[in-house]
Amino acid sequence: MRFKDKIVLITGGIRGIGAAICKSFLQEGAHVVVTYSQDQDQARSFQKELGPGGSNTTVHQADASDFDAMKTLFDDTLEKFGRLDILVNNAGIRRDNLVMFMSESEWHDVLRVNLQGTFVCCKLALKPMIGQRWGRMINIVSPSGITGRQGQANYAAAKGGVASFTKSLAREVAKIGITVNAVSPGVIETDMTRSLPEQTLAELKQAIPMGHFGRPEDVSGTVLFLASEEAYYITGQVVRVDGGLT
Amino acid sequence: MSLREQEGLVENLKELIIRTLRLEDVGPEDIVASEPLFGEGLGLDSIDALELVVAIEREYQVEIPDAEVGRRAFASINALAEFVLEKGAGQQASDAVG
Repeated sequence: MRFKDKIVLITGGIRGIGAAICKSFLQEGAHVVVTYSQDQDQARSFQKELGPGGSNTTVHQADASDFDAMKTLFDDTLEKFGRLDILVNNAGIRRDNLVMFMSESEWHDVLRVNLQGTFVCCKLALKPMIGQRWGRMINIVSPSGITGRQGQANYAAAKGGVASFTKSLAREVAKIGITVNAVSPGVIETDMTRSLPEQTLAELKQAIPMGHFGRPEDVSGTVLFLASEEAYYITGQVVRVDGGLT
Repeated sequence: MSLREQEGLVENLKELIIRTLRLEDVGPEDIVASEPLFGEGLGLDSIDALELVVAIEREYQVEIPDAEVGRRAFASINALAEFVLEKGAGQQASDAVG
């Protein structure tokens, strides 16, 4: 029970990697506040899936990039629990297209949710964490943001931006007992990757030195380690959980 | 607010700064109320300011919403006391001094 009674907020936490992170924290005794953006059916089935363990979870519909909506959620969380220990910024969308065909909205939407969403939530987490002189922020990025990827210039720009943001914020708060790190999952078996074309998946598998895709649990294990006491001296890092892909 | 009460607030602010920033070798008497807190003077940096903002907001229920307000409020202990008084929350601290 490494996280007994710790308060964790996870954006985009009802499916795939986010859901795995949520379940792992619950198993280790944390209270988890989870956000999702649109899919109410998925949110209901996620809560059902959690079963009795779900009593330590609250699920909220909120756009992570909407400052006012997130401020309300942070305020409610602080009022209810009196603290916020761990923030995981996982909310993300993709709108893949070649740059020549990419619309402004495809560009802006991806930057808004992935990059601005991370900024908004980290900013809101700062005051409570500074007051506690303890906090963990973990931002989920992507190999696209490290190496670039055709058809994902918007997503790569956003995730690369999140990685740089992570390193900068880590320096700002390092003295205050708050660590800020990023985790870069490679190709993980989730709905998001399953939506990729067959040929792309085959190419990706070939590029992974370990020869297979990762599991959501592979990512959540790393996130929980970075959130733990043991990782207090690790900050400003982008940890790649990708089977050697990057 | 009387002069004595204002002096009480200044002393409280000095102690809050020492406590918040864990300034082990500094006593209230070492902090000159009219000198800059940052850079020269007490030699605090912008990261120290983050902790001070949170501590001042919690202690006196005032808001320091942006860097510009922070710069004015943290110009010196005297400026900080004026800021807290201006926001109308200084009474609480000076009450404690009596």
